[in-house]
Amino acid sequence: MAVRQQALEDNKSAAGTPLLDVRDLRVYYNTVSGVSRAVDGVDLSVRRGEILGIAGESGSGKSTLTTALLRLTKPPGFIAGGSIIFHSRDGELVDLMKVSEAQMRSYRWRNLSYLPQGSMNSLNPVMRISDQFEDVIRAHSDRSTQEIRDIVPELLRQVGLEPHVAKMYPHELSGGMKQRVIIAMAVALNSDLVVADEPTTALDVHIQRVVIQTLGALRDNFGMTVILVTHDMAVHAELADRVAVMYAGSIVEVGDVRQIFKDPKHPYTKGLIGSIPRIGGERRRLSGIQGNTPSPTNWPSGCRFHPRCPYVMDVCPREVPRLLPIRDGQARQKPLVACHLYTEVQAESGGRDGGQ
Amino acid sequence: MADSENRIEVSHVTHEFHGAALRATGGKLVAVNDVSFSLTDSPPQIVNLVGQSGSGKSTLARIILGLQKPTRGSVTFNGKDVYRLGGRDKEEYLRSVQPVFQDPYGIFNPFYKVDRVLWKAIKKFHLAKGRSDGLEVIERSLRAVDLRPEDVLGRYPHQLSGGQRQRVMLARVHMLQPRFIIADEPVSMLDAAVRVLFLNILIDFRDKYGMTTLFITHDLSTSYYVGGDIMVMHKGGIVESGKVDDVLVNPEHPYTRMLLSSVPVPDPDARWKDRAQVVLAEEEEELVVDKPDIEAPNP
Amino acid sequence: MRRFARSLWKLWSSSHKFQIGIVIIAVFVVVAILHGPIVATIGHGQDPLGTAAYTPWQLPSRTNILGTDRYGRDILALTVTGLASSLQVGAVAGLISTVVGVLVAFIAGYKGGKLDSLLSGTADVFLVVPSLPILITLSAYVTNLSLAAIGVILAIFSWALAARTIRSQVLSLRTRPYVELAKVSRMSDLEIIVQELVPNLLPFIGVGFANAVLGSIFALVGLEVIGLGPSNVIDLGLMLNWAIGWGTLSLGMWPMFVAPIFVLGMLFFAVNLINIGLEETYNPRLRKVAGA
Repeated sequence: MAVRQQALEDNKSAAGTPLLDVRDLRVYYNTVSGVSRAVDGVDLSVRRGEILGIAGESGSGKSTLTTALLRLTKPPGFIAGGSIIFHSRDGELVDLMKVSEAQMRSYRWRNLSYLPQGSMNSLNPVMRISDQFEDVIRAHSDRSTQEIRDIVPELLRQVGLEPHVAKMYPHELSGGMKQRVIIAMAVALNSDLVVADEPTTALDVHIQRVVIQTLGALRDNFGMTVILVTHDMAVHAELADRVAVMYAGSIVEVGDVRQIFKDPKHPYTKGLIGSIPRIGGERRRLSGIQGNTPSPTNWPSGCRFHPRCPYVMDVCPREVPRLLPIRDGQARQKPLVACHLYTEVQAESGGRDGGQ
Repeated sequence: MADSENRIEVSHVTHEFHGAALRATGGKLVAVNDVSFSLTDSPPQIVNLVGQSGSGKSTLARIILGLQKPTRGSVTFNGKDVYRLGGRDKEEYLRSVQPVFQDPYGIFNPFYKVDRVLWKAIKKFHLAKGRSDGLEVIERSLRAVDLRPEDVLGRYPHQLSGGQRQRVMLARVHMLQPRFIIADEPVSMLDAAVRVLFLNILIDFRDKYGMTTLFITHDLSTSYYVGGDIMVMHKGGIVESGKVDDVLVNPEHPYTRMLLSSVPVPDPDARWKDRAQVVLAEEEEELVVDKPDIEAPNP
Repeated sequence: MRRFARSLWKLWSSSHKFQIGIVIIAVFVVVAILHGPIVATIGHGQDPLGTAAYTPWQLPSRTNILGTDRYGRDILALTVTGLASSLQVGAVAGLISTVVGVLVAFIAGYKGGKLDSLLSGTADVFLVVPSLPILITLSAYVTNLSLAAIGVILAIFSWALAARTIRSQVLSLRTRPYVELAKVSRMSDLEIIVQELVPNLLPFIGVGFANAVLGSIFALVGLEVIGLGPSNVIDLGLMLNWAIGWGTLSLGMWPMFVAPIFVLGMLFFAVNLINIGLEETYNPRLRKVAGA
């Protein structure tokens, strides 16, 4: 366990330093009705040891973004441009867009783990859990079989599962338990980053809770970095440190989770937060957001939210707003917003369109 | 139509599924277990039926709609058994009880334009004479659910968003003006921003047209939003019922409590405090609720 | 009708494999329909199929593109005639077995219960009955059958497969929300089957038909090759039978072998291309993903 302890210390001490810098990432799909620009100009920074939530409705491109982060985009999708700079633990900078496929494979799991949507279905149905651990860990690290057998019960314990789960087959486990087995594999390899795509969708609420807490523990107990992608804002409120809100293929607002929920800046974020029903308290009518999600084959001009925006101005259909930090009274971290409403107060105009 | 009371009475309904796939549970699965309740349209109300997947709530919806004859028990509409209705009574029942289904993708036959669902309703329930009359009815109903007819008519289902499709189903309900809407997870596949628009329309239907809705959902927060009565379903039975404001604020049954405590609150200042305990697994708490048998096989 | 044309066009434009398959089949069908005029053209005024129309055992030349057989008949003309009879038998058998199969499938799949058990049970019996021995026995007793009669006999053994595949599709469609919506919209069972189910099953029905046609053609070829076919009709199988019987290969007279095998091979190839094309279009797992 000493190794694990050391890794934990390393992770904790590195907390707050940059891990991923995504610049102008574009992921397109070739479709019969033209090029679908599912992810179109995403800028995002991920810091070590944080849980970064990516929120957005269906069709906003968040799943496409996550697969592209690990370069798992499959045809007819392709990465049309941009860079993803990975800051390795020893300070090296690697552009994941430029490394070879073989190198990329070695980064996956070891450095970057991915929990795909419905990942509980990605376990091999005819192998015992312990054998699957062996497979994954052996392929991505240099531990011996005996070593792996020894740590599996501990790994399971860390995600709240009994050791005897190791001897079971996937069909004997519930969806939540399978989900946690996958999370445990990421823990085993001590990945720098775990990207979880809709980890709670299609799970019953009480199982959802366990999965949410397990993901939280990855960061709290192991200092891992988590990118949490979900449309469920309540999950972000429960888990995320910062939230990036995606709309129509790009990020419209990034901020501290409290700021996003208590004082959303972008009109879309406002609408989104204003659409969440809560249990308890006064029952008031929520307004929702009128209109429809635009089509990725034909984004609206200028600000892509302008056809649905209640604050639309003359400039909105003409110019694409940039994601810039805005001055915000008490906030330690300045929220980044891509909206013309804030252009005048964006004092640091030279500000980079980045995450810090 | 609203001058006399209409009533759906569900009494001691039990439904079992049989099959080889259920050998582990003795060859049968009791999806609905001795459920009784009633729905009335005076006063119009929204009755929430909440439960997790496999709790039997969708089976119950199909039983009420006359699509699945229950193994035991009966469903009556104004005193008449729904599964023994003759021609005119059957028409009257379908005129009065209409569904909104969960899946906005599966509800339209991909082969036809969306208009067809609306025209079918007009023809089968004699809602209008002739084409221009019918078109007028359709357009009025589409506008009633905040859809622009030109955005919807003449399109194929895949050209509409999930929210638009579910609202077309509401437009169909608006045309038929049933006394009861059986809505089975109507918003579970919709985005949050579109979801409340749908719920608002359901609430308006109750207030404007006096329709009673059986609102089936797994999402407690949407139940709280629409208000009214609530029944909590677990393993085929109703474990707790009452006013939403009582049951969801002061739950009595342990299952309801467990559900409520598992729902993440959309407020970063109200996070769960016990995150670490689960990981240490000293508590058996989550293992108790995490037994595989909770996710009952889908029949 | 427009939407029908539209879905056909969508199908056509969705897959090159499908297009190639359809084109090959279309060429064969046209040739089969026009086999009279084509044979006449080959003969330049005389019957190229008459005994001793040409010198026997010619290799391909300008007058006989594929050479001639033992009786001096033109092999190209034989092949065209054989293709026509083979396709005719296939069409009759395919049509009958598809109609019967579809009816059984819809009744069994939609109604379910005891009727389903009875009908599927019957279909299963026909599926496991070894058809070739029975056909051999039959053909030994019955002679001078017309092409249509052969088609009917072959259909008896091929409807069950169509019924089974379509029934399973009906079962999966039966509980679709749009079918349930149709039920609460007071549509009758017949309306639901015809309007909601059949349009979505057309591709499967099409595949079933194509397979039944192909299966029947090959069944007849099998019978002919072992010399049990109706010998008064020239079809591709009979040509192969002659080719074997006359020892054409040892004589170096390859066209007699190659022509029917090539045509049968192309038929098989084309039907399978169509199958694969339909599968790619209608099976979402294989469908090329479009959009996010």
